Amino acid sequence: MKGALTTVPIIKELDIVGARQSGRNLARDLGFGSVDQARIATAISELARNIYLYAGSGEISFQEVQGASPVGLKIVASDHGPGIENVSKVMEDGYSTSGGLGAGLPGVKRLMDEFDIISDDNGTKIIVVKWLR
Amino acid sequence: MNPEYKDILLTHSDDIIRKWMDDLEDSKLRDYKSTISDEMIEQVNREFVNLIFSILKDGHSQKSIEQFSERIVNLGWPLGYLTEGMQSFRTICIKSLMEHLDEHDKDGFLQIMEDINHWVDPIKNELVDAYSSNWTSIISLQKVALQELSAPLIPVLDGVTIMPLVGTIDTDRAKLIMENLLDGVIKHRADVVLIDITGVPVVDTMVAHHIIQAAEAVRLIGATCILVGIRPEIAQTIVNLGIDLSKFPTKSSLKRGFEKALEITDRQIVSNGEEKKVIDDIIQSIDKE
Amino acid sequence: MRIPILKLQNYLLVSVQIELDDQTAMQFQEDLLGKIHETGATGVVVDLTSVEIIDSFIAKVLGDVVSMAGLMGAKVVFTGIQPAVSMTLIDLGIHLKNVQTALDLEQGLIKLKQELEEK
Repeated sequence: MKGALTTVPIIKELDIVGARQSGRNLARDLGFGSVDQARIATAISELARNIYLYAGSGEISFQEVQGASPVGLKIVASDHGPGIENVSKVMEDGYSTSGGLGAGLPGVKRLMDEFDIISDDNGTKIIVVKWLR
Repeated sequence: MNPEYKDILLTHSDDIIRKWMDDLEDSKLRDYKSTISDEMIEQVNREFVNLIFSILKDGHSQKSIEQFSERIVNLGWPLGYLTEGMQSFRTICIKSLMEHLDEHDKDGFLQIMEDINHWVDPIKNELVDAYSSNWTSIISLQKVALQELSAPLIPVLDGVTIMPLVGTIDTDRAKLIMENLLDGVIKHRADVVLIDITGVPVVDTMVAHHIIQAAEAVRLIGATCILVGIRPEIAQTIVNLGIDLSKFPTKSSLKRGFEKALEITDRQIVSNGEEKKVIDDIIQSIDKE
Repeated sequence: MRIPILKLQNYLLVSVQIELDDQTAMQFQEDLLGKIHETGATGVVVDLTSVEIIDSFIAKVLGDVVSMAGLMGAKVVFTGIQPAVSMTLIDLGIHLKNVQTALDLEQGLIKLKQELEEK
């Protein structure tokens, strides 16, 4: 069972909850412990909220990957929103355009093992991976 | 391999083995000689040479190579024993072939070299691979063992728990420590946790960062963290590095930390005066006499 | 969905038994402040034992509730935050510095009582 697992569309606010629940279930099925499940679910929540707030709609997809460690969960959050103007700025702790805590993206980076972001006029794609230890 | 060579090697195997064993006598193992009995060396050498000849005779056997490597690892012999053994084996085989063959021209020699290398090198590579993968698995086993004794949590009183930390703290261990700590706080319903860092040799910015994070996490679940066992040199490093530990209580020793824990949980140690009573009794009984 | 808020003498007790989505959290903020205003409560215990995820948004809402309640003269204690949630918050860089915490509802009430008496 390797490869694409599932994709969750993010259109309305409640989809944030749906996405993180799917993510948590997948993480549990892959054998992640309760703490890592919470880390993964929280990261998904942040990513999904960003999609909802800044792009309006998009999707979150889950993949099982293999590499450095036997199993990993790869999460791709993609949207076709306006894109992030200053990527290095949003990766700073405490930077927020929405009046939030500004912990979102840098927080996600700390919660996960790998973090990659691609953003341009056609939208934003954030790829994160958590490895099973 | 050229069947002719194979025949020669097999026919003269006794001679080759004798020479090879002599050669091995002065090998890498000489550093270890004092701790290993001659019989043992003799026996393992024989296994080694049997392995090589069985491969020559019956073809390749990955399983027996792995088994032999595992044995060498378990005996604690160095990798050099295997590599040097194969090296000298190669030399002796080539010499032996040169002796028993008539072709002394350049091409013949190259041919022999090539054939022997073709035979010896894969065995050598596999021995080295098997040896190192054996080591790797031993290391990962030890890592697990180390993690198990990594962060014990000891309840000492209702609501007071101690976590003594010993050894270096890296990111992986810090995560484990934090998980154990928080689970333990819930399990023992601890109001106060004393983290004792007497056994942590170096407290740098990263270690301090992990400890602060653990203390913050403990606060979020509703308990208090006290950092104890701060030696003078650690106090110096902490201040020199500009690390701010002022947010939670720190004490020099476990004893002082424990007193603080009692204070937080609103308790006192009271002597029940037994000792004094015994002495009073004795004095009274003397008075009576 | 609404989170029930119970009154006990001077205190308000809240046990969050559902997964917090954004809407519920905002509604809760509003309801709690309304209830404080209505009852004149001086202390609030919010039990989070059943909450499995707190992300930065929910954390902000909860932190804000504490500050807002403080402005209205009510102290808030959060209880029962799960280890996994606590670690995740720390990873996110959220320390909820203005928030008081306790192990469980009982400890939370004791803590509130102590703090209110000290004043």
